[in-house]
Amino acid sequence: MLNVINKMSIKLESRSINEGFARQTVAAFVAQLDPTVEELNDIKTIVSEAVTNAIVHGYRDRLGYITVAVRLLENRVAEIKVKDSGCGIPDIAQARQPLFTTGDEERSGMGFTIMESFTDRIHVRSAVGKGTLVTLVKAIHGKRTEDKL
Amino acid sequence: MQITHERIGEGIIVHIRDELGHHEARKAIDYLENIVILYPVESVMLDLSGLTFMDSSGLAVAMNLHRALLRTGRKLVIIGTPPQAMRVFSAAGLPRLMTFIDGKGDKLC
Repeated sequence: MLNVINKMSIKLESRSINEGFARQTVAAFVAQLDPTVEELNDIKTIVSEAVTNAIVHGYRDRLGYITVAVRLLENRVAEIKVKDSGCGIPDIAQARQPLFTTGDEERSGMGFTIMESFTDRIHVRSAVGKGTLVTLVKAIHGKRTEDKL
Repeated sequence: MQITHERIGEGIIVHIRDELGHHEARKAIDYLENIVILYPVESVMLDLSGLTFMDSSGLAVAMNLHRALLRTGRKLVIIGTPPQAMRVFSAAGLPRLMTFIDGKGDKLC
């Protein structure tokens, strides 16, 4: 169990315009771990995928709240949790298959594939009618030359 | 996101700039569908050199254009893809389907 060094959370309405805010905010917070540009871009990408999934699939045609919680752990590990209280995923294994989507043509069905590619660990917990919690863990190897935290 | 196009030589280059996520994807898809209809025989290139961010919604935009061009016997060429967007394309295996070229469109025609 790694110790928590710093943490934050934000709560957003499930509006697509908030996707950019969510990824920028999380990236700014994780920047404390001195990631490389590529690592920071990976963080933005996985947050964007998880938040978009909550908006498009979790809440579909209604508004709800999405919570994005970030914990910075010792050994330079970022843990990001994206939680919605939407419709839930009936079959998580199927949802994680490449090209599977219940969305329209704006979705590629590659969201989970991208999240899996850009993280060290991903865990999805979901209950139909209650919501979904996606946990993304990424170690930052970055450019740091001295400890700041 | 900004999306514009220009004719250079015999082809059309569509420039997408700034961020391309789910919030911007609908506008990009509609714009590109109109391009395919308005220019039925011209080659179409997508210039992504001005992108600052792209997620899997950008894959959907590219795949929709790729399919629309294939229906009229054309192939999609994507130019100037920044490293972050290229990582997304590569993770999805799209370089097997489409042609990616470095550099900017105005230097190709």
